[in-house]
Amino acid sequence: MTAWQKSFSRRAPLLLLPALGLLAVFVVWPLARAAYWSFTSADLLAPERARWIGWDNYSDLLGDPRFRQAFGNTAIFALLIVPIQTAAAFLLALWINRPEPAWRWLRTVFFLPTIVAMPVLAVVWTVLYQPAEGTEMGLVNAALGLAGLAPRAWLRDPHLALPAIAAMSVWQGVGLQMMVFLAGLQGIPREQLEAARMDGAGPLQRVFHVILPGLRNTVIFVVTVTTILAFRLFVQPYLMTRGGPGNRTLSLVQSIYETTFLNQDLGRACAEALLFLGWVALLTWLQRTAAREERA
Amino acid sequence: MRRLAGQIGAWAAGIAVALIFLAPLEWTVLGSFRAEAVIFQTGLHSWLPPENWTFAHYAAAWRRAGLGPALLVSLAQVAVIAGVGLVVNAPAAYAFARLSFRGRDTLFAVIVMLIILPVEVLAVPMFFTVRDLGLTGGLGPAFTGLTVPFVAKAFNIYFLRQHFLALPVQLEEAAVLDGAGIWTQFWCVALPSITPALATVVLLDLLTHWGDFLWPLLISTRDSTRTVQISLADLFTQPPVRWGDILACAVLATLPVAALFRWFQRYVVATETQAGIK
Repeated sequence: MTAWQKSFSRRAPLLLLPALGLLAVFVVWPLARAAYWSFTSADLLAPERARWIGWDNYSDLLGDPRFRQAFGNTAIFALLIVPIQTAAAFLLALWINRPEPAWRWLRTVFFLPTIVAMPVLAVVWTVLYQPAEGTEMGLVNAALGLAGLAPRAWLRDPHLALPAIAAMSVWQGVGLQMMVFLAGLQGIPREQLEAARMDGAGPLQRVFHVILPGLRNTVIFVVTVTTILAFRLFVQPYLMTRGGPGNRTLSLVQSIYETTFLNQDLGRACAEALLFLGWVALLTWLQRTAAREERA
Repeated sequence: MRRLAGQIGAWAAGIAVALIFLAPLEWTVLGSFRAEAVIFQTGLHSWLPPENWTFAHYAAAWRRAGLGPALLVSLAQVAVIAGVGLVVNAPAAYAFARLSFRGRDTLFAVIVMLIILPVEVLAVPMFFTVRDLGLTGGLGPAFTGLTVPFVAKAFNIYFLRQHFLALPVQLEEAAVLDGAGIWTQFWCVALPSITPALATVVLLDLLTHWGDFLWPLLISTRDSTRTVQISLADLFTQPPVRWGDILACAVLATLPVAALFRWFQRYVVATETQAGIK
């Protein structure tokens, strides 16, 4: 700490106050309130008349089939998204990581869907997934028709709705993760790859013995971020299926939303939100631990 | 010869994959110019530009979804969140990077913990805070309620602090010798040195909040503060359903953010994407 830093430090509160004040009012305070409400019978219309009921909201939730279904749906969505999107992003990055500048345009192509807002894409894909009615059908069914496959009612079929939403979400998100992998690939020394080539390592061996180990922390980062994003699923099912058919695409976040505004059970909704937060915190902790091991 | 064939093969594969990947977007844009009756036409027609271009869907979407005011609200929303956000977050980041004060490390640890907090967890209790502060009625208060909760952002503070830390301290030392005070130091020396990081933060804020849905859904109950996404969702869910209008509205809801992205992109360095990993 040099002399000028010490003398400037007297001004620190001025620099900090706006940001910390806003965070306190709009993040920390609501969080503390949610934590308190989650142990009460707080009602949406009169939260001030909350009665302390201990862990009841939490134990009720763990036995509630609706909450379990919402968690299950979201977990299935994550299990579909994370491996497919991570693998696809990695392969795309490997493929287009070429020296010729002309290949940069493909990056733009794959990145394009990520700059379109999710509500827009949810609406657009509902149109694309339109089932066949007479000779009319959405793009997805029309494309399958070209391949000789029968059209399906993607978003209305209880078995297909969630995978259809997952497929659309992979298409949307893969470009961003590809960029992260591309940045990671820049960090692998060319000499290492050259040396492996000289030693007679084939393309597959180079991927598994040089590139993937070199990208270890990138992979961990991508997997964690994709998992957390997957658990925040809300917009797609809310707009595309309203959580249906038969709650098959009900997401955790939509469940919190409905418990609050349809059932007006604020206490329980806050318990759901905190369980959700605990789960996200656990995932983050796992990533940190996994990423640290390598450095040790 | 074989090298050339390989090059051509790689290019053909690249173009094919790009076309398949972009087909949904292409179909959407072309569909917004087709007559309602032929939007879902199958066969080769659905891939080619329309024979008779129509702009009727754009006029109808603009009117039915109230896109004029909605676009203004959305643009103002992202401008306030990103702009005021910079003014609020950058000084805090600088203080964490360069100044010493009691409890600095503890406070910063709290900031880092707040990064993972998803907005979906906070939305409901934040709704009450905003209501208690009286930020729901009237245009001014409702717009404040739409934006101000997202101005201070833990990730942005963290991200900018990392970039301030990476600056060579000699730069600021030289400024001090020239008699610069803390504000000159901050505004004229430190901030301009991290322009790519500032652009990255602004760009992320723009993209994120242009797509905001859950929060506006909770609080923008009146027409005067309806954002573009909510207008689009209303057009989509409230009868009569006119597919052409919906597609046109989707295009109009994307153009502004695409233009902003294109403009900001030049300030963002590709390596920025890696900063979150370490």
